[in-house]
Amino acid sequence: MTRDDFLQKNPLRILNLDADGKAVDQRMGLVIARAGLGKTAILVQIALDSLLRGKRVVHVSIGQNLDKTRTRYDDVYNDISKAYDFENGVTIRDEIMRNRMIMTFNESVFSVPRLEERLNDLIVQDIFRPDGLVIDDFDFTAADKKNLSEVHELAKETGLNVWFSAVCHRDDPRISENGVPAPCHETDDLFDTIVLLQLESRKTKAERPGNEKVIGLNILKDTIGGTDSSKILNLDPATLMIIRD
Amino acid sequence: MNRNLDRVRNIGISAHIDSGKTTLTERILYYTQRIHAIHEVRGKDGVGATMDSMELEKERGITIQSAATYCTWKDHDINIIDTPGHVDFTIEVERALRVLDSAILILCSVGGVQSQTITVNRQMTRYGVPRIAFINKCDRTGANPYRVTDQIRDKLGLNPVLLQIPIGLEGDLEGVIDLITMKALYFDGDMGEIVREEEIPDHLREEADARHEELIDAASMFSDKLMEAALEGTPTPDMIRDAVRTGTISLDMVPVLVGSAYKNKGVQPLLNALIDYLAAPGDIDNKGLNLDNNEEEISLSSDPDDPLVSLAFKLEDGRYGQLTYIRIYSGTLKKGDTIFNSRTDRKCKVGRLVRMHSDEMEEIQEARAGDIVALFGIDCSSGDTFTATGVSVSMTSMHVPAPVISLAVVPVDNKAQVNMSKALNRFTKEDPTFKSHVDPETSETIISGMGELHLEVYIQRMHREYDAEIEVGAPQVAYRETITKRAEFNYTHKKQTGGSGQFGRVAGFIEPLEDGEYEFVDKIVGGSIPREFISSCDKGFKKCLQKGSMADFPVTGVRVIINDGSSHSVDSSDVAFQLAAVGAFKEGVSKAGPALLEPVMKVVVEGPSEFQGGVMGSLNQRRGLIVGTFEEGHYTVVEAEVPLSNMFGYSTVLRSLTQGKAEFTMEFAAYRQIPAGLADEVIQEAKKRRNP
Repeated sequence: MTRDDFLQKNPLRILNLDADGKAVDQRMGLVIARAGLGKTAILVQIALDSLLRGKRVVHVSIGQNLDKTRTRYDDVYNDISKAYDFENGVTIRDEIMRNRMIMTFNESVFSVPRLEERLNDLIVQDIFRPDGLVIDDFDFTAADKKNLSEVHELAKETGLNVWFSAVCHRDDPRISENGVPAPCHETDDLFDTIVLLQLESRKTKAERPGNEKVIGLNILKDTIGGTDSSKILNLDPATLMIIRD
Repeated sequence: MNRNLDRVRNIGISAHIDSGKTTLTERILYYTQRIHAIHEVRGKDGVGATMDSMELEKERGITIQSAATYCTWKDHDINIIDTPGHVDFTIEVERALRVLDSAILILCSVGGVQSQTITVNRQMTRYGVPRIAFINKCDRTGANPYRVTDQIRDKLGLNPVLLQIPIGLEGDLEGVIDLITMKALYFDGDMGEIVREEEIPDHLREEADARHEELIDAASMFSDKLMEAALEGTPTPDMIRDAVRTGTISLDMVPVLVGSAYKNKGVQPLLNALIDYLAAPGDIDNKGLNLDNNEEEISLSSDPDDPLVSLAFKLEDGRYGQLTYIRIYSGTLKKGDTIFNSRTDRKCKVGRLVRMHSDEMEEIQEARAGDIVALFGIDCSSGDTFTATGVSVSMTSMHVPAPVISLAVVPVDNKAQVNMSKALNRFTKEDPTFKSHVDPETSETIISGMGELHLEVYIQRMHREYDAEIEVGAPQVAYRETITKRAEFNYTHKKQTGGSGQFGRVAGFIEPLEDGEYEFVDKIVGGSIPREFISSCDKGFKKCLQKGSMADFPVTGVRVIINDGSSHSVDSSDVAFQLAAVGAFKEGVSKAGPALLEPVMKVVVEGPSEFQGGVMGSLNQRRGLIVGTFEEGHYTVVEAEVPLSNMFGYSTVLRSLTQGKAEFTMEFAAYRQIPAGLADEVIQEAKKRRNP
């Protein structure tokens, strides 16, 4: 099977199309969930989808080390290439490596201005011109709206597709009108697409009797694609790969 | 010498460059009374540290060859191998780890876990070496042993447990608190030789209590006795030590000690820890290969009464001939014994048997299982196994990386020619990653190794130790050729020139092999190529791997599948099918998109964050692919993959770019395809070299 087959079948495709069904690559997206539900796995799959389409992605990881982040990509890529039995899998892996750059920061040193400075270094010196940016474990509790607006501006100016992940907490009941939980409830207007991961019980079909806990990927907001919020995807709880319901 | 195996420790000392390995070893030798004065690595007295015995090491302040040394502490025999920190010499580190039972991993309390720490830690994990961590340089500005402990957990994936905390830090470092005995230790006297035990200072009492609890929690995972005692509130220091020892030897825990070797603080407690927690030879299950049973893996007993099994892990040219360092795994080796080299099947007699202390030695009559000693007058190579006669055991072969860089060396006169031959003969025996050969076309002697510095050190050793005046050519990268797509071949070799003719037809296809050099697949059915000629085809294909069609570089990453052919009852022969395979290979490769590969190095640059942009730019200019960056405080690590051919002279560039504040390490990562435009240049260059 070829990578095009995978790209066509990738359940993530619904997040990548506008209301007219055309591919869109510029937006601000947010994946929000409680700790341990698979935010990083979703970001890596979003990034890999772009990489497999030949786009260049900077993965910013806050509080994680380089090897761990790289391993996440290797694991997800291996799952995909095995499941779809890619021809020339090694060549594709090399190509992904060329088009991906990982920036990791210790929590205490990360700031939006520093990130902007680093991205400028890459672009001005023509070292790496990203089409996409994923920022994993961004601390929304410490960020002010001005900083996030700056990222929003940067994304617009440079045509960057930016995805954030954020952690929400059980004991914080604050929520926005769109149903976006704290700490992102006051900044949800900056995002075009917001996805909430939740542990859900579902009544299952005949082949899977009884109640089963699944990780549901709920689209809370999608101003670009206008995706129907009833279009819900799930995560395979074992591999954290996105699957159709 | 102690007769009890439990009282022997074979340890290595490994770390990132400049973390203080040699300085620490010097203190250990001083406190164990092997030396009577301390000389610093870059000391003003010009003597140099005892372990840096080679002239070049003293001059450069780095340790190149691991010198073995022996000392005693509290009635225990300790064999120490001081290992080099530079990545170019990792074969030395790997060899040392192969023969050691445990190790001390030194970390700088400012730099923390650095690139080379990760490499040596990975090597220790590969050989299952239990380790303790010593966070050194706590007297330096910016010292933070707690942050380093977190890094040991996060970056190395180990389970570090603090056994001590420092009393003061940076310029205020006074001593350490032992969290097991809950006492403060101070180091008095000119050289810190007097250990004074006091009560814990009041301002550190609360923290020490909390850390003591953490230690008991972590250690009780390895001892039910300690867990019960902890619940009853009665754990004793011995219970804690036993539990920590169990956790350390099972590789589930890394005890962490702190101090400053340079300021003589914390070294004696480290020696105690070495005895208390690191493995004795009997604690480790050493494996050998049974040569009588298809190289089946067998455990070696560590019993001095069993037949001898020992490994020659290091050779040195001493004043009295070749000095061979050996580790004895089982049995006893006595002066005058006849021993057997299982690689060469030759017997030899043990002449002089010595225990080494850097470049001084002590004559001994016998050595037993667990010991590391040296022999004189034995002709062998590094990695050879010596056994008692009649024992068919070989030690597991060591992982030896292939050389990635080479250069031509030309002796200036006949005397230099003779001396250079002697030197090369010695070096290639000592170091399996260093190779030499004569280029049949240019008649030049080519030396190959793991990096620029690696070769530079050997060239200087030729000058200094062998008085060989040589001229050195420009470094050459070891290119390879490969194919990029599947292609079919169908070649007939036919020769009819009177007498018996030659006939063979070989058909099949050739395709890229992603993980490997060469694979031959026989899919012949119905005897279209007779069985006896299948191996001839394989031989013919293998011959073609030595020289590719593009620029005569070796060919790699090729799978050849034969599925058809034909033969002649009279004219087919081994030679005919070999020649047919050669023709078939050439035909296949020409259609399979041949390409050039070059060695690409993993380069890790560490330095202040302010230089990150410049560093990335400099790597990018060298066709480097920035894999990622890591920022912590004011410190940044940039990891990249850069073609070796573009790394020559990078240390100078980096030094001027960062005012000497950044450093880099590099090691071989993979062979990757060269861009088409550059490939043409390489091919032209190679042709010019062959036909100047």
